Amino acid sequence: MAERGARGGTRLLWPALAIPGIVWLGLLLVAPFYVVLAILFGGVDPILRQPVPVWNPVYWDFTQFEYVWQHIVGQDAFFRPALLRTVVYVGVASLLCLVIAYPVAYYTARFAGRWKGALLAALIAPFWISYMMRMLAWVNLLQTDGLFNKALSLGGLLDVHVNWLGGQPETVVMGLVYGYVPYMILPLFAGLDRMPAATLEAARDLGASRWETFRRVTWPLSRQAVVASVLVTSVPMLGDYFTTDLLSGSPETSMIGNLINNSVLTPGQTGQAGAFVLLILLVSILPMVLYVRYTRTAEDTAS
Amino acid sequence: MPERRPGISGRSEVARRSVLKGGLAAFALAPLLQACGGNGTSSAGGGGTEKIPAPDNPITWDLSKKNPAIESGLRPERGSTLRIYNYADYLSPRMIKDFEKQYGVDIRLSTFNDADEALTKIAAGNLDFDLYFPSYDSLGRLVQADLLRPLNHDYLTNAGNLWPGFRDPWYDRGSRYTVPYTIYSTGIGWRTDKISDDIAALDNPYDCFWDTQYAGNLAILDDWHTAMAMVLLRNGQTNINSTDPDDIAMVRKQMLELQDTMNPKVTISMYTELPAGQYGLCQMWSGDAINTQYYLPKSKSIDIMRYWFPEDGVGEVDNDLVVCLAQGKNPVAAHFFINDLLDEKIAETNFGFTGYQPPLTAFTPETLVSKGYVPENLASAVVTEKAFDVGVPLLQLPAAADAAYHQIWQEFKAGG
Amino acid sequence: MSSLRWYRNPWRRPYGLMLITFLYLVWSLVPVLVAVLFSFNDGRSRTNWQGFSMRWYYGDPLRSVWHDASLHTALTHTLLLGLLATAITVPLGVAMALGLDRWRGRVPSGADVVVLISFVLPEILIAVSLLFVVTVVSTPVGLGTSGQVIGLVTYQLAYPVVIVRARLLTIGSDYEEAAVDLGASPGGAVRRVLMRMLVPAIFASAVLVFADVIDDFVIVRYLSGDSSTEPVSVKVYNTARAAPTPALNALTTLLLLASVLAVVGGYLLYRWFTRGEKEAGRLDVFTGEA
Repeated sequence: MAERGARGGTRLLWPALAIPGIVWLGLLLVAPFYVVLAILFGGVDPILRQPVPVWNPVYWDFTQFEYVWQHIVGQDAFFRPALLRTVVYVGVASLLCLVIAYPVAYYTARFAGRWKGALLAALIAPFWISYMMRMLAWVNLLQTDGLFNKALSLGGLLDVHVNWLGGQPETVVMGLVYGYVPYMILPLFAGLDRMPAATLEAARDLGASRWETFRRVTWPLSRQAVVASVLVTSVPMLGDYFTTDLLSGSPETSMIGNLINNSVLTPGQTGQAGAFVLLILLVSILPMVLYVRYTRTAEDTAS
Repeated sequence: MPERRPGISGRSEVARRSVLKGGLAAFALAPLLQACGGNGTSSAGGGGTEKIPAPDNPITWDLSKKNPAIESGLRPERGSTLRIYNYADYLSPRMIKDFEKQYGVDIRLSTFNDADEALTKIAAGNLDFDLYFPSYDSLGRLVQADLLRPLNHDYLTNAGNLWPGFRDPWYDRGSRYTVPYTIYSTGIGWRTDKISDDIAALDNPYDCFWDTQYAGNLAILDDWHTAMAMVLLRNGQTNINSTDPDDIAMVRKQMLELQDTMNPKVTISMYTELPAGQYGLCQMWSGDAINTQYYLPKSKSIDIMRYWFPEDGVGEVDNDLVVCLAQGKNPVAAHFFINDLLDEKIAETNFGFTGYQPPLTAFTPETLVSKGYVPENLASAVVTEKAFDVGVPLLQLPAAADAAYHQIWQEFKAGG
Repeated sequence: MSSLRWYRNPWRRPYGLMLITFLYLVWSLVPVLVAVLFSFNDGRSRTNWQGFSMRWYYGDPLRSVWHDASLHTALTHTLLLGLLATAITVPLGVAMALGLDRWRGRVPSGADVVVLISFVLPEILIAVSLLFVVTVVSTPVGLGTSGQVIGLVTYQLAYPVVIVRARLLTIGSDYEEAAVDLGASPGGAVRRVLMRMLVPAIFASAVLVFADVIDDFVIVRYLSGDSSTEPVSVKVYNTARAAPTPALNALTTLLLLASVLAVVGGYLLYRWFTRGEKEAGRLDVFTGEA
C-alpha cells in the first residue's frame, strides 16, 4: 500500500483498496453474464446435448432465444402462465409481508420500550434459522395427518383432511410470506427507528388522531424505507423455486424460477435457462434504477 | 480466464476452437429445430449415426479405446473412497456400511432427482463418480460420449446368479459395460381408503388420471419418458417409444389436459407420499409400491395399498443398470461393489430396503411373498422373468423425437 | 361512549399493534420449535409424538446424524463454507467500501451501481451464470467447495460494502483529518482511527454474511459437486422431497445451535472489541442498513 508516500499517497490508496473487489465483481458477477449469452446463443453437442458456448457474437444463433420469446408472447405461449403467476405470487406475498411487517416494525421501533432489545432479537431469530429448516417445519405441519389439520379439527370435533401440500397456491404464497417477511421487518425497523419521535408526538399534541398521525406524518416519512424494504424482499422472491417445490410440487404453482430450474439441468434446454435469466435480470434491474432515481430526487428535495 | 473474451482481435487457439464448435452446434441444432416447429419430427434422427439398442436390434458396443478395462486380480485400496451416484433411497444403508467394513473402503453416496440432472453433472466431469445407475434409454449416449469403462468380468463371479435372459442382454451384448441392477414395472398405485373405485376393475385403468373426481388427489412420475409412455399405453399404442408425429401430438394434448384439469403433483417420492396420505392415486414404479410398507404410519395397515399392472402384461417393464464411469478413481472397488450387488444374500439386504427386485434366480414371486418381503395384496408388483417377454421397455429416442417429447414435458411442467 | 373516547385517545397503549406483533412472533417461531421438538421423537413420524429420545442424533446406528456420514458432513460442510466465505468476503468488502467511499471517478461510480444491483439480484441469476462458467469454461474452479465459495463471496460482497459505507457516511472525515493533522500518515489514519471506528460495522457485516451463507441454498446447490459438498440446506431440500426422517429435524436443529453459538460468540467478541465505547451494546448494528 502507498501509505509511505506522504499525503499524495492517498490518491493511490483508495483505488488500491477498491480494485480487488471491483476485479472480483467484474470477473465473477459481470463477465459470467457473457457466458450466459454465449450459451443462450450457442449450440448443443450432438450426443449428450450439453451446451456448447459460442464466444464470437458473429456466429450467434438466436433460435433458443426466439423459442423462449415465442412461447412467452406468441400464440402458443405456454411459458406465460408461469410468468404471470410469478408476478401475482410475488405481488401478493410482498403486500402481505408489508401488512405484517409494518405494524411489527412500527411497534418494535416506537413502543417496545425496555423490551426493544429482546423483541428485536426475537425478530432477528428467523435469520439464524435456515430457510430450509423453516420450510421443512411447515412441510411437517401441513401433512394431511399433520398438526395443522389436527389443530383445525379442534381435537377431533371436525373431520379436516385438507391437502395443503397438494398444489395449493395459498400454501405457496403463505410459504413465501413466511420465508421472506423477516427480510422486510429489519429494513423497515431501521427506517422507522430513525424517525424523529418528537415530530410524531407534536402531531398528536396538535390533536391529530392516531390514524391521522399515521396517515399524514408516519407513513410519508417512512415511504422510502417501505420502498427499499419491498424491493429487497420482492426482487429475491422473483428467483424463488424451492418454496413452491417443497410446499406444492405441482406444475400448477410453477414460477419463473421453476422454469429456470427445470431447463438448466435438462440436456438440450440449458440455453433456454439463459433466456429466463436475462429476463429476470432486466426485470430486477429496472426497479433498482427507478429506486436509485427516486432516492436521488428525494435527497434533492430534502436539501 | 481468457475464454471469456470473444476472439475478435486474437487468433488464439481458443477462438478458432469456438468457431469450430459453433459450426458443429449449428449443424446439430438443425433437426432439433425441426422438432420444435411442431409435429414435424424428422424420421432420420439426429446425428444419423445414433445407435439405439432395442430387443429386436441388439447391440454390441465397441470397447472404449480411451478407457481400458482394469487388470484382473486387483484388490480395492484400503482407505480409498468409492463414489456412487444414484437415486435417493435406492441403495440400502446397511449394505453400504457392510461393504465399507469388509473392504476398508469409504463409500460416498451422492443422489440425483432425475436422469437428466445426473447426465448434466456427469458430463461436467470433475466429480469422479465411480458407479452410476442409468436406465438403458441413456446407455447409448453414455457409451458414445465415451464416459464408461468396460467391465472386467473376472471380478463378476456372481454373474451366474442372474436370470438367464440378463446374462447377455439386447442393450449390451456381452455385458461389456453393464450389469442389471433392478427390474420393475410401471403401473398405478392407490389406497383403498382414499379411492372408492377399484381402479384395476375399470375398463381402462389409465383413465383414472383424467377422471376429475380425483383432481388434486393424484401424482405423476417426474420422469418425462415414463409419464408420456403412460399416455401412449392409455390410447392403446403399445409402442411407447413412438416417433410418429400424430402420436406425439396426441401425447401433448392429453398431457396438457391432465395438467389443466387434474392438478397432479409431479414427483418421484410416491413411496413416502402415498403412505403419508398426500394423495390417494399415483403412477407408480412397482418397487415403490412394495416399498410403501416401510413408510406407512403405524396406524394404517398395508392392506389399503394396491398396485395395478396390465393383466396381459403389456405394460412398461424396465430394468436399471449399474455402470462403471470412466471418470471414477476407484474402479477396482467399483467392480467389487457390482459383484456384491449380484450376491444373493447382499441383494436380499438391499431389496429389503429399496423394494426393487434384483433379477436373480433366487428371487421368485413365491419366495418374496412367503418370506414376507411383499404383502399379498401387492403381489402384482412382483416382476417375473416372463414379464419381459410381453412387457415393453422404454428405449432411447432419436434426437428429434427426444427433443419433441422434452418440449411437451417442459410445457407440462410450466403449468397452464 | 367512554370506550370511544378511549379509542380516540392518541396516547393509549397500542394494543392492536401489540397483538399483531405477538401473533407474528408466535407464527414465526412456533413451527420451528415444533420442528426442534420432533427431532427428539422416538418414532419415525414427524407428526405423531412417540416419546423423547436421542435416536435421531446418535441412537440410530444407520440414520442418525452421528452415524449417517451424509448428514454430518452436510453440517461440517455448511460451517466450512460459512467460515471460508466470511473470511474472504469481509476483508474484500471492507476494503472496497473504503476505496469506493473516497475514490472519485467513473470506475468507482460504475462499481457502486454494480454493488447495488448485486445486493438485490435474485440469487438464481448468479448461481446459473456461475454454473455455466464452471461447466463450460475451463478454469481451476470446479463444482464443489471452490465453486461454492466463489459464488457465495460474489453474492455476499455487497453486504459489507453497503453496511460499511453507511457507517462511513455517519463518521465523516473529521476524525481522520484530525489524525493526519496530528502527524499520522494517511494510511496510519485509516488503520488507527477509521478502522477502529468501523469495528461495529465490520462485525455486523461478518455476522450477517455468516448467517446468510449457512442459510444459502440456490448457489450452493447448483455449484455443489458430490454429496460431500452438499450443505444442510441442499440435504434438507433433497430429503424433504424424498423420505425425510426426524434425523433431518435433528440436523437442522444442530445447525440452529451452531448459528446461535456463532451469534453469541460474535456478540461477546464484539462487546470485548468495543468495550468502553458509548455505542457498544446496541443490538441494532446487527440490522445493518439494508
